[in-house]
Amino acid sequence: MKNSLFFSLMIVSLATSVLISLALGRYEIELGTLWQFLAWKFFNIGETPHEVVLLTNIVFDIRLPRILAVLLVGAALSVSGGAFQAMFVNPLVSPGILGVLAGASFGAALGIMISDSWLGVQLFAFLFGFVAVLVALVVAKIYGKNSSQMILLVLGGVISSSLFSALLSVTKFVADPYNKLPTIVYWLMGSFSAVDMNTLSSVALPLLFSTIMLSLMGKYLNILSLGDDDAKALGVRVAWVRNSAILLATLLSTLTVVVAGMIGWVGLIIPHIARFLVGADNRVLLPMCALLGALFLVIVDTLCRISMNIEIPIGIATSLIGIPIFVLALRNAKKGFV
Amino acid sequence: MSFYEARNLHFAYNDKVVLQGVDLCIQEGSIVSLLGSNGVGKSTLMKLFLGLLNPTCGEVMLKGKPLKNYSIKERALHISYVPQSTQVAFAFCALDIVLMGRIAFESCFKRASKIDISLARAAMERLGILHLEKCTFQTLSGGEKQLVLIARSLAQGAKILVMDEPVSGLDYGNQLRLLETIILLSKEGYTFLKSTHFPEHALMLGGYTYALKKGRILAHGDTHETITQELINELYNTNIALKQTVCGYPVCIPSFVHIK
Repeated sequence: MKNSLFFSLMIVSLATSVLISLALGRYEIELGTLWQFLAWKFFNIGETPHEVVLLTNIVFDIRLPRILAVLLVGAALSVSGGAFQAMFVNPLVSPGILGVLAGASFGAALGIMISDSWLGVQLFAFLFGFVAVLVALVVAKIYGKNSSQMILLVLGGVISSSLFSALLSVTKFVADPYNKLPTIVYWLMGSFSAVDMNTLSSVALPLLFSTIMLSLMGKYLNILSLGDDDAKALGVRVAWVRNSAILLATLLSTLTVVVAGMIGWVGLIIPHIARFLVGADNRVLLPMCALLGALFLVIVDTLCRISMNIEIPIGIATSLIGIPIFVLALRNAKKGFV
Repeated sequence: MSFYEARNLHFAYNDKVVLQGVDLCIQEGSIVSLLGSNGVGKSTLMKLFLGLLNPTCGEVMLKGKPLKNYSIKERALHISYVPQSTQVAFAFCALDIVLMGRIAFESCFKRASKIDISLARAAMERLGILHLEKCTFQTLSGGEKQLVLIARSLAQGAKILVMDEPVSGLDYGNQLRLLETIILLSKEGYTFLKSTHFPEHALMLGGYTYALKKGRILAHGDTHETITQELINELYNTNIALKQTVCGYPVCIPSFVHIK
């Protein structure tokens, strides 16, 4: 009962904030005008609004793709964070635990350095996100007889993250300081300003699909938290579940870097807030993470767009907003892993 | 054809040899107790029986078919595992834990069906713990936790229960109640393979006993014939006397206890 209330509330707030976000920006649209325009556009109700061309351009060509990307990225980061926290049975785990964010960042920087096209950058980011996770898994495999030993996976992730962070520094060091370096630095701060329909259409489906798939794995992640022997004896193919979760979370995280660069903290704090609302049962928690993450990021991104004359990089904003929230969430931590 | 058996099992963790040639035969509906000192390989043997480990040599057979030929789901339909204790990191309620026994039957991305829920509740009712269904698992007492885990096995529908030291950590009353539950279930046709640190418990349950020492079976057979004073003293390096009470029930009396 309580949970369905939270879910309905979440969906209503999500819809409201998307509408408000569509209206706000450099060119402000009155909510009434926006409403009239959308009603006319989708349901053919009411009279044709003035400035149809301008409105169509602002709402559908500029703001909507960006907002959709924000929603997807917010949901993706939070769900992968939540799933990893469940899998590692550790509340301090974030989506980057296996090195995917460091790898994708290095890939993007490398792409900026050697390629001139945006697509090249995105491909490099995507590729190295996976390479980094592979490095983590291989390291874990070398020292453990099976990669199911979670502590080895964590250590593999630490090694892989450090490796790719170091490589990223090398790239920055050798990059042309007038032309390439600022682009790399700015990319790493994260931003949705470059998102257009092209980017959105190529990443939207995989993001949406993986987010939904991962949200639905809660039942299996619950059982995994009992330990491998228990889970196997209950008829669960542990390695298969774990590898699918890692694969989906890696795909999601690396795609967020492809879309918007590095956005920290979302994947760490949103699962905590979601757990505070609906409890730790992953069947409920993961869908809630997706909704809450989307809501959080759409609010932050709107603030980034409108609060100052220049746009604030969203990675900075999520950190600045995320840290105090995390400190508050830690108050709960003494009660245990809820 | 025997029901559930191990043939010439060998097992080693890397180069540490644990089992060297174990034969163990379990009949349907019987209770088999495993005795042996710490580190003798009881848990390893049970994991082999569950298919959680693969023997380096030899085979576990279930209904005449090698266990490794069963898929992990098929295995879960026949054999269930009641662990010594379960680390539950999240705040699940007891019913959620019991429902996990149904996972092999549920379709991938669906919620538990009404049938699954009623089976889980029926299993809890049978063990007299239905009133705990909404309680958080971590807040339950040791005895209640064990019963919830047994209910999970019943909900799983498997007729063989493999229990690793089921009474460890329970108080005296809960130990006796748990043993009684095992006897009641075995009368209904459930088969038990359990390890225990208490020869007295094996004697209470009757059935069959296998005594394990240095990775080999030292003695086996009907519990009351197998467990002798000599066997206990050899297994545990103790000095006890096995006496019959007036009504013929055996009790262990350590040598430091002086009976007037």
